[in-house]
Amino acid sequence: MTANILIFCAAGMLVTAYLMVGQKALFTTIRLYGVQSLLLGIVATTIAIAESRPELFVTAALTVTLKAILIPWFLMRTVDRIGIHREIEPFLSVPASLLVCLGLTVVGYRVSTGFQEGARGVGHHLIGVALSLLLIGLFLMVTRKKAITQILALLTVENAVFLVALGVTSGMPLIVELGISFDVILAVLVLGVLVRRIVGRFESMDVSRLSKLKG
Amino acid sequence: MIPDAFLTIGASLLQAGGMLAAAPLLRTAIKKMKARLQNRQGPPLLQGYYDLAKLIRKEPVRSETASWVYVAGPRVYFAAAVAATTLVPVLVAVAPLEAAGGILLLVGTLAFGRFALATAALDTGSPFGGMGASRDMTIAALAEPALMLGLFAQALAAGTMNLGVLVRALVQQGPSWHPSDLLAFAGLFIIVIAETGRIPVDNPATHLELTMIHEAMVLEYAGPDLALVEWASAVKELLYLTLLVNLFMPVGIATSVETEALFVALMAWTGKVFLLAIAVTVVESTNAKLRLFRVPELVSVSLGLAFLALAIRFL
Repeated sequence: MTANILIFCAAGMLVTAYLMVGQKALFTTIRLYGVQSLLLGIVATTIAIAESRPELFVTAALTVTLKAILIPWFLMRTVDRIGIHREIEPFLSVPASLLVCLGLTVVGYRVSTGFQEGARGVGHHLIGVALSLLLIGLFLMVTRKKAITQILALLTVENAVFLVALGVTSGMPLIVELGISFDVILAVLVLGVLVRRIVGRFESMDVSRLSKLKG
Repeated sequence: MIPDAFLTIGASLLQAGGMLAAAPLLRTAIKKMKARLQNRQGPPLLQGYYDLAKLIRKEPVRSETASWVYVAGPRVYFAAAVAATTLVPVLVAVAPLEAAGGILLLVGTLAFGRFALATAALDTGSPFGGMGASRDMTIAALAEPALMLGLFAQALAAGTMNLGVLVRALVQQGPSWHPSDLLAFAGLFIIVIAETGRIPVDNPATHLELTMIHEAMVLEYAGPDLALVEWASAVKELLYLTLLVNLFMPVGIATSVETEALFVALMAWTGKVFLLAIAVTVVESTNAKLRLFRVPELVSVSLGLAFLALAIRFL
């Protein structure tokens, strides 16, 4: 049963990542990230119950409150204030991005078989999904122009790393997890401020315009 | 002892009749739920039947330039939709005409109906019919591969293309809990929305010339012809939802023809279709309609998901 829930949630995270790639409305993308984090929280809770590791409940609670509620709320407020709701033109068209992401997922899954834990069973799917998410996140970061989508891509990468840490290792020490969580929230806050500065200066969230700053 | 042929015919008629009877209810239920989400009262639950009855009683008004193609279009479309209902297991894990074929025949039958309607829409030479037909076929051409890939992903799990055998195998194995299931389900759900002409792909409630797709195609039909088109579309919608619930959550489906099992299956089927209808309503109420040129992007997402569902089985 535990294995089933874990696989189901991991697959759900992969689906949200694909929907993010296919989406251009910023609000929907942010909500998708929220759902993805919620699924990660469910993964943490499931492992905590199944392997009776109570410290993972803290991780789950942190993940859900921070990444599924607080960060999406903050990002939505930022989007609302600057009044830009759409990703206009990514560097690659959506169908092309999807094709690349399909390739990345295949790579992620193939690579996961190289790990000792990733050869079969739950570990195979968890590592496979996590590596795919990592690659998709990196890919989104380089192909999208809007600063908000880039933040979301960074957060997706972070989710992927968390998924591997949860599913495969015996878990990070609590202090490290706390540190990472605060790192993430600080990063989002700083990036949120940065986004507003960019918009204030260029009247657009297009990061490629930053290259005009060169002398 | 009743010969097998009579049994098959009887079961087919029963299933087709049941789907025909239930289909307008589903459409009205979605309309009603949507209205409630917008703080409106919405139509009474039987409105779908009233509308069909009203349309059937009217006289058909046809353009002077219309040929037999125009008259045949709605009839072939309706016949194809009804024929398709006999290829899918609904309450019992047996499709009445499963000996005739499986996934490919189902997709082909539905495509044939759409082809008939599109040619009929072109027949009178009115710009709306042509525009609607062109748009409808564009979306269909994109959605069909994704639909087939999604269904193939499930077929791969059970090792058969025949829907009846497929559902029986799924019931026997129990849920496989493979990531492929969820990916294929997500892909097919998008396809169901695209194929049934719902927001964000098409708006079933609009007659605004720039945005309508399916409505533009059938704009010229009136009276009984229109009733056939509407009814067939409703049947198709119910059929797609049934296909989704029976392929991905075949819980409660009857494996034997006993009154008790059938009753449980009826309850389970109604509940599951209702849940999916709620999901469709929520998607329709919370999303804005996509521009026509953005539709391929949405459909390509579902194509990607369906392809991945298939590929992940081998990885």
